[in-house]
Amino acid sequence: MKQAALSHFDMPWLPISGLIIFVVCFGVYTYWTYKKENKELYDHAAMIPLQETPNERGN
Amino acid sequence: MSANVGNREGKLERFSYDDEIVRYFVIATLIWGAVAMLLGVTIAFQLADWRVNLGLPWTTFGRLRPLHTNAAIFAFCGNAIFAGIYYSHQRLLKARLFNDLLSKVHFWGWQLIIIAAALTLPFGITTGKEYAELEWPIDIAITLIWVVFAVNFFGTIIRRRERHIYVAIWFYIATIITVAVLHIINSLEIPVSLGKSYSIYAGVQDALVQWWYGHNAVAFFLTTPFLGLMYYFVPKAANRPVYSYRLSIIHFWSLVFIYIWAGPHHLLYTTLPEWAQTLGMAFSVALWAPSWGGMINGLLTLRGVWDKVRTDPVLKFMALALTFYGMSTFEGPLLSIKSVNAIAHFTDWIPGHVHSGTIGWNYLIVSGILYFLVPKLWNSKIYSIALANAQFWLATIGLVLYIISMWVAGITQSLMWRAIDETGKLVYPNFIETVVKIVPMYWVRAVGGTLVLISFLIMIYNLYKTAKAGVPAADPVFEAHALDSSSEEPNATPHRKLEGWPMIFAVMSLVAILVGSAIEIVPAVLSNKYIVKMDVVKPYTPLELLGRDIYIREGCYLCHSQTVRPMSHEVLRYGKPSEAAEFVYDHPFQWGSKRTGPDLARLGAKYSNMWHYRHMWDPREVTQGSIMPRYTWLFDQKTQYNTLPKKMEVMKTLGVPYTQAEIDGSIAHAEAQAITIKDNLVETGAPAEALNKEIIPLIAYLQRIGVDYGKSEATPAATPEATPEVK
Repeated sequence: MKQAALSHFDMPWLPISGLIIFVVCFGVYTYWTYKKENKELYDHAAMIPLQETPNERGN
Repeated sequence: MSANVGNREGKLERFSYDDEIVRYFVIATLIWGAVAMLLGVTIAFQLADWRVNLGLPWTTFGRLRPLHTNAAIFAFCGNAIFAGIYYSHQRLLKARLFNDLLSKVHFWGWQLIIIAAALTLPFGITTGKEYAELEWPIDIAITLIWVVFAVNFFGTIIRRRERHIYVAIWFYIATIITVAVLHIINSLEIPVSLGKSYSIYAGVQDALVQWWYGHNAVAFFLTTPFLGLMYYFVPKAANRPVYSYRLSIIHFWSLVFIYIWAGPHHLLYTTLPEWAQTLGMAFSVALWAPSWGGMINGLLTLRGVWDKVRTDPVLKFMALALTFYGMSTFEGPLLSIKSVNAIAHFTDWIPGHVHSGTIGWNYLIVSGILYFLVPKLWNSKIYSIALANAQFWLATIGLVLYIISMWVAGITQSLMWRAIDETGKLVYPNFIETVVKIVPMYWVRAVGGTLVLISFLIMIYNLYKTAKAGVPAADPVFEAHALDSSSEEPNATPHRKLEGWPMIFAVMSLVAILVGSAIEIVPAVLSNKYIVKMDVVKPYTPLELLGRDIYIREGCYLCHSQTVRPMSHEVLRYGKPSEAAEFVYDHPFQWGSKRTGPDLARLGAKYSNMWHYRHMWDPREVTQGSIMPRYTWLFDQKTQYNTLPKKMEVMKTLGVPYTQAEIDGSIAHAEAQAITIKDNLVETGAPAEALNKEIIPLIAYLQRIGVDYGKSEATPAATPEATPEVK
């Protein structure tokens, strides 16, 4: 299967580069996102739709 | 660090939101939604009974089906996206839209594009590329209006009063960037006239670019913007924050990165390079994770308010939409697995899957959004909860009828196609046997679609009464702090900073989608090493070229494929498996995606000219039980020979090896070939008046399809590795 899939392809570095980019990016942003100290930030961010205009004053 | 949601010290500014433009888009959504669904029901009945085609060119399935898909995707969903984005974008950023005039240009420009589509597609003015049928002047208009939208959108971000760019807006950014890239790359074509152009890509390359576009039109027009809307409207309707904001970040980047790779799963078992097919399949399967991450995030946002889901139409529609999103995004990767795809592809299972997404996800979440928006925009209350409930159940039952009937039809037909007896022969050698068997399911689908249409009409009435009971609210004035240095977060993490830099964020999104695009498309498009040219494959004659344009105009590719997969039952039924080199002169490719009728890749020289003549006059004369419409106008309309030199010039520009002498003599050559076909027809009983009619070039083309390689002694092309000299 592997041989058949790659038999016409002489640029394996292309998908491998894509895979590496994805894995690295995935790891980095998952780390940033789930860092303990960021929890408060994202908890606040999640509230944005519910606090759209905190000082709103309708006419 | 502070998230700066409130408690800032900057200057307090007064502003209002432009809700008038949102009302415009809401009304347009309702109008075009009804049109799209009416067209869908019409073509569903046409498949159940061919007489519903009405015998008119502009009411025939091949012309109405592109109108249905364009109306559903770009008119209905498009206007819904713009309504939802413009409403939520302003509120999430605490800023009025960048420019009121741009908003109006955007609205009216988009409506004019839709009208232009409605005035061209039924008249056969089409590029012949699925979901990208609109011709080049409209393509340019789409690009310009999209730029207007983008300027208005990003201008609003620049003027924002909220530092953090909420996750919904990330999805909008990805949508705007990616749709622009997809549309421009796939629409590259050279005009022949105002209403005719040829794709710059041919054959395999065209197929790959087209389905990279086609699949990602689903991804970035029907999925990402609606996920953005989901991340805004579900928390608003439930009055609670999204279940996991962190998960939404993972969801966004993973989905945007992975989705773009999945296009080749539409081309499994074709002559597309194996590695591209395998990549497409692998990334399609990988899509399960982010898709379900988003679905779970949406559904779990409703935790604690499930009691409201029973009574609140907004939440009810959103919960069902998310459920269907989960089901269709489970089914999609399943269908992209090669062994499943071998059964499902070209069958009715695929439209069943597509509609579980477009009706189950898009229509239902739009319903939830509209039931949220209209009472707010018109300062009113939902007119009738009972009517909303009736709509909910009619839509659900109709959709279930649609999906189940298409599962049954698709699997039944596929198993009949591939049935081989103990002597090695097809059990159902006549394709029509497999069609007649599933016609009852077409009736069930048409009934299901009708229920969905009725449900939509109920919503229109309900929302009309809702709006009528209120008055458009005057834009209230709000106050919020300006975005100044007090909102900055000097110690924020890089991703956190990125979330506040819209342009950098947009570039990062662009990079995410370009990685997959480049890896799949650039090698296939720029390198012709995968296609070993065959000397036996020649360009079309002038008359055949005219016939091919008629084939494209009538939308034949919507029911007939032109590619034989390397499977024993297909080889037995149709002939030699297709080779990439057969399509090098096909601008655009015509492989199709559905076999309502049989594959035509080996049609040439299979039947007599008279068989085709009678078949196009009335398919039932030669195929009892056929559901194909009649094409009687081909026997009345004159062949436009004078367009030939220009068409061949364009083809030559695209690399088709026509000589100048062939171009100069194209009209005479075509007329001579037409006389040969006419003489043959007259000998077998056709009237001599047929000579200058469009049926002649169409027959010429049909008799040519797949002949060069299919009827030759040529063997399948060797792999590049085995062939030192590769052209």
